[in-house]
Amino acid sequence: MPAVRASELQVVGRRIPKLDAPEKVTGQIAYADDLRMSGLLEGAILRSPHPHARILSIDVAAAERLPGVRAVIHAGNVQQGRFGYGNDNAPLKGDKVRFIGDEVAAVAAVDEEVAKRAIELIHVEYEVLPAVFDPYEALEDSSPSIHDELPDVSGNVSMRWDFDHGDVDAAADRAAVIVEGRYSAPQAAPAPIETHVVIASFTPSGHLTVWSPVHMVFMYRKALADVLGLDWRKITVIQPPVGGSFGGKIDIDTHDFIAVMLAKQARRPVRLAMSREEEFVGTRTRQPIHFRLRTGADAEGNLLFRDAEVVSDNGAYNAWGSHAMLVAMNTITSMYRVPNSRIRCAVVYTNKNYGGSVRGFGNPQATFAVEQQMEELADALGMDPMDLRLRNANQSGDVTPQGMEITSCGLSQCLDIVREQSGWDRRRGKMRDRHRGLGAAAYIHVGGGARIYGSDGCGAIVKVDESGQVTLISGSSELGQGSETALAMIVAEEMGVPIEAVHVVNSNTDIKPWDVGVHASRTTFVAGNAARMAAAAARDKILETAAELLDARASDLRIREGVVEVAEEPDRQIDFGRAVRRRLLREEGSVVMATAFYDPPTHHQDKEYRGNISAAYGFGAHVAEVEVDPGTGMVRLLNLWTAHDVGRAINPMSCEGQIEGGAAMGVGLALSEELVMFDGLIAAPNLHDYGLPTAVDVPRTVVNLVETVDPLGPFGAKGVGEGGIIPPPAAIANAIADATGIRPREYPMRPWKVKHWIDSEERSHVVAGKDSSGHG
Amino acid sequence: MADVFIPGSLEEAVGFLTDHPATAMPIAGGTDLLVDTRTGRARPDRLVDLSGLREIGGFELDGELLRLGALARIRSIELDPELGRRATALVEAARVLGSVQIRTMATVGGNLCHGTPSAEMPPALLVHEAVAEITGIGGQYSIPLADFFVAPGRTVLAPGDLLTSVRARVPSSRAGSCYLRQTVRWSMDLAGVGVSASVHVQGGAVSNARVALSAVAPVPMLVAGLEDTVVGTDLAPEVLAEAGRQAAEACSPISDARGTADYRRQVVSVLVPRALRIAWLRATGSWPEGSPAPVNGVWTREQR
Repeated sequence: MPAVRASELQVVGRRIPKLDAPEKVTGQIAYADDLRMSGLLEGAILRSPHPHARILSIDVAAAERLPGVRAVIHAGNVQQGRFGYGNDNAPLKGDKVRFIGDEVAAVAAVDEEVAKRAIELIHVEYEVLPAVFDPYEALEDSSPSIHDELPDVSGNVSMRWDFDHGDVDAAADRAAVIVEGRYSAPQAAPAPIETHVVIASFTPSGHLTVWSPVHMVFMYRKALADVLGLDWRKITVIQPPVGGSFGGKIDIDTHDFIAVMLAKQARRPVRLAMSREEEFVGTRTRQPIHFRLRTGADAEGNLLFRDAEVVSDNGAYNAWGSHAMLVAMNTITSMYRVPNSRIRCAVVYTNKNYGGSVRGFGNPQATFAVEQQMEELADALGMDPMDLRLRNANQSGDVTPQGMEITSCGLSQCLDIVREQSGWDRRRGKMRDRHRGLGAAAYIHVGGGARIYGSDGCGAIVKVDESGQVTLISGSSELGQGSETALAMIVAEEMGVPIEAVHVVNSNTDIKPWDVGVHASRTTFVAGNAARMAAAAARDKILETAAELLDARASDLRIREGVVEVAEEPDRQIDFGRAVRRRLLREEGSVVMATAFYDPPTHHQDKEYRGNISAAYGFGAHVAEVEVDPGTGMVRLLNLWTAHDVGRAINPMSCEGQIEGGAAMGVGLALSEELVMFDGLIAAPNLHDYGLPTAVDVPRTVVNLVETVDPLGPFGAKGVGEGGIIPPPAAIANAIADATGIRPREYPMRPWKVKHWIDSEERSHVVAGKDSSGHG
Repeated sequence: MADVFIPGSLEEAVGFLTDHPATAMPIAGGTDLLVDTRTGRARPDRLVDLSGLREIGGFELDGELLRLGALARIRSIELDPELGRRATALVEAARVLGSVQIRTMATVGGNLCHGTPSAEMPPALLVHEAVAEITGIGGQYSIPLADFFVAPGRTVLAPGDLLTSVRARVPSSRAGSCYLRQTVRWSMDLAGVGVSASVHVQGGAVSNARVALSAVAPVPMLVAGLEDTVVGTDLAPEVLAEAGRQAAEACSPISDARGTADYRRQVVSVLVPRALRIAWLRATGSWPEGSPAPVNGVWTREQR
């Protein structure tokens, strides 16, 4: 589609509050947890109390006898297949349990209390096995084997992600400066306010309907069919409004299968709602990743290589977290121009809750290492870190070592903006006497789809009815990220109607066309292009009719504010809805409806992890300012300046919200969020101890939207959903380094760690008599 | 599910609790008990709702004496300007307890009787020389608040006993107090270390000082023996550092998910001097009136 000048846009670029905001802020929206239906049973899950144990026997007789119990299921009395990459997982475990929280049995009963009591009546005999929680220990020969049933798994290594480009060793020989360090990212959680809730119901004829706030609905439907032996033509998935996901609800999870099996057994609809504790213990987390990274540069500050040894702490099974390296690898090879790179990564099973997909998907973890090392390298070179970044910044036209084709690219501009706004040149390195510091970090992230499946596409149907109402039926889903509003704006812009005329339908697999699902910041780009194409086709039908009625050529017409007019003679006009009626309400009439399918020109990565996985890449840069209390180690985040290349802001208000929200999550990752575990037991599975940040912890966040107008994005837009969360851990670590001289090696940078680093640093000064920061 | 008993008088409440010692628990704001009930830490069959007992609510100042009813809401303490001047530590502790919604429901008595080692009210009241007033089946008695706490989650209260009020000393001049803490988040968090200090000044020197700690011992504690260090001085840096050392030695923290024992001791040695210093500045009129202390005692938050 042709590029459109900003001045010609009617709807795109306006600040429009989310269309569902009034329902949400007044509490009227019905989330999954609000749904009730006749005969609905409550489900409950019995989870393993052991991190690693063999199941010797399961006795459910007492639970089955409890009045009010309608179904008790376990691996011995259900038909279930296996799932997860490498089929390493099953909904209910029959042989072994592999983490505290693993699903062993489940109950459906007339109410929650009966279900919980029945769970307590199930007797499971375990043979407790030695467990391993540290991924480095899990790699040792003496370590217990977590998946001894899988012949292809040895040494607890689930998979490897190894990458080579150029000659790292030769580059290292040439390098004037090499910095090396270890960096660790912890197990964090998406922690949405709405916990997972699923309702499953079979009709007497065997049609299954599932209500689930999931965002890859079509793959979810297929997984249900494959694992439970159901006919996938007889499954409808309905997605109620989502009360927060942040990736945690991306795909099918164990409890979804369990709810369906319970409903089948009980022949009644079953609801399975996770408590807050279960949400932390039994649903997917952010993959902990440990990096040993080296970066080298020549004396002028040209990057020569990156060399990474990575251990990705998988937990008990392979879910999406096992693939977090897909994105972490992009960052190591392609954040800035790096001519040589080498990655050796093992994804290692441990007896812990396992990683899924969480906003940013591996990127905050990798950026924490890569962007700290940029500032360490700059310090070692005696260069300003911003100058180092700008010298090596990705530019339009670049093809990265992994084959990522950079088209629109505002990275340098983003760096310039936050540098200027933060007073970087005046203030960085000059506030240590006040324990204050500035730190920066930038990111690269997919922003135009991400081909991880046969199709990276999305379908759209635009229907205009006789009232003039426009309905977009999109394959994509709303998660609270504002995609409905953005898609409605794209349709309104393309058709020339006010935003109020556009409705979005996107929540039922029986109705909506294929979409791979919401992930990888792809919805505005992919679903937006599909919506725009369908809207254009529907508009052309209306123009065809209007041309007849106005006795003009369709190409001479335009639509503004819902009125079709002759461009040169605006007095010759007809109402948009009237044109639709004139097309419909006549003999041999027809409805205005158009379909489109947009699959971006993206490619699967080959076996060597090369391929242009996305049709556009998003960039951005943050600068954080902190003040550190050396007495307590408490870190106060004072300011956060952000600039994001969004291609084109379809809805600036929404873009800012996404960036602010992402940044707030990044601040939580950096300073407070962690699932603290002792021997595999999550110490305190609640939002307080987990350390979800409050409004007081999040500073004023300055958001700059940089519009590079992407050649393929709808009206030039690129993905913006994940960018905000990526830089804060690295930027805040760099700011702490600037404020104190210490180098944070892991996040969250909770006070006792910061205090410990400061005190250790002082001791090492005494011993070594020189600054040892920057060399791990 | 528990039955709720609504007593018409303090005597009725005490009588009911005495008659059902194993199964009944008093409830006031419910901000701790309802959470404990949901998590299974508490399993009361009967709840005695104290919220209608006006005689043990509210607070009043009588000269230097503050009488705080057990049902006084944390939020009402936080918002009282006179308490802000004279019981500054108490108001600063109230300001950081939970959220506004929690503070609106939570009561002083509940915060004390729950016996949480990291609770906010105890250290602030301890430096104001608080005395607990208790009514039980045997009548009324009072004990120093320092003796009220027995172990984590346990107080001296026998079944049937109710804490009815707390008396505290809040001088109107030449005295100052403060409450500081270390937390992970900057709001809505429990103290990793809580420190309260009060200072009385006469003739340019400390005439009396108290320091209380929370979250660094099984129970909230007063630091004993500080008088020898600080009385008669003007709290010069070396005096403050010595007080911090003494406090760090006196406490007995544990390591847990919120910090190591060593770390907590270090923080005590840092926060005690800061708290004493701020209390001194207040006692000598050198601290801007009505200005709360930063949470950890050093911040001046500048938001450009």
